[in-house]
Amino acid sequence: MINIYLLSILFSVLFLIVILELVRRRKLKEQYSLLWILMGILLLIISLNVRLIEKLAFWLHIEYAPALLFLFGLLFCFVFILHLTLVVTKLSEQVLRLTQELTILKGKESILHERDH
Amino acid sequence: MFKVLVIIPAYNEELSIQHVIREIKSHMSSVDILVINDGSTDNTEAVVKEEGTKVLSMPFNVGIGGTMQTGYIYARDNGYDVAVQMDADGQHAAADLPKLLSRVEENDLVIGSRFLEQTSYRAPLMRKVGIRFFSLLVSLVTKQRFTDTTSGFRAAGRKVIELYADYYPMDYPEVESIVYLTNRKCKLVEVKAEMRQREAGKSSITPFKSAYYMIKVTLSVLISAVRFKEVKSLP
Repeated sequence: MINIYLLSILFSVLFLIVILELVRRRKLKEQYSLLWILMGILLLIISLNVRLIEKLAFWLHIEYAPALLFLFGLLFCFVFILHLTLVVTKLSEQVLRLTQELTILKGKESILHERDH
Repeated sequence: MFKVLVIIPAYNEELSIQHVIREIKSHMSSVDILVINDGSTDNTEAVVKEEGTKVLSMPFNVGIGGTMQTGYIYARDNGYDVAVQMDADGQHAAADLPKLLSRVEENDLVIGSRFLEQTSYRAPLMRKVGIRFFSLLVSLVTKQRFTDTTSGFRAAGRKVIELYADYYPMDYPEVESIVYLTNRKCKLVEVKAEMRQREAGKSSITPFKSAYYMIKVTLSVLISAVRFKEVKSLP
């Protein structure tokens, strides 16, 4: 019989497999996969033990337990987007530095070229 | 006599750049001029080459900060003692160059100011308010009086050339680059400089970008002020 519990366990496992496969094929760098793997493991734990969420919600005085799931999901997205903007910042700095070095080198080369002719 | 490089960042300035180069040459024949073409889509590069002046062309438009820094990296690697930055639109008067250079020996950065004394410069009201605001902000943060922090007419000594080659703010860099230097214990001074209304082309600051400009620069000045740690630079 198919129910949502079984589905979510299947989905979590599949999610983890996809992430690990992407890393294996070098489509995803290990350093960027860590947050995703963490997310996949959390998903799996929650799917395997639904009572966990209900207990946690009870401790935190959240009446509607699934709200806790949404909160976790949202926070995870925020953290991940922050992580991505850090990566973009570093990348754009590196690209700029490369562009500058290239521009200066190109200038040097054209002087040498003119001297040869 | 020290080795001086005049750095002129240019983006689509084919109409004014020739005049700027000739004016510098007529006032100071001993300085080297370097135009950095920030991915212009017009004939800026050809016009500069025609004048027999060295031009470096960025492969695409990277913005004023990255372009300016390219000039400072070039100045550092080629052993220049002084780097002067001037605008390509002709608003800075080459006649003021000797004045800036005469003060650069006992200072690390000399800034040409429109407002130190009465000059003929007349700015639109909103721009004037902005300029005053930043000068006040920077004066507060650095505890030194500045009258024209947005001026792009500056002469930098060897210490500043090296600091700017390491780190230079990316967009709207003028104001933040002052605070960066005062954090590094540099000596800065302003001298009076004439500025003309631009001769050709249009200003890079449109009204649309003004709000972003104000907020971004204010934020970076305030953050620079509390940034005690060295800015991490690329290896």
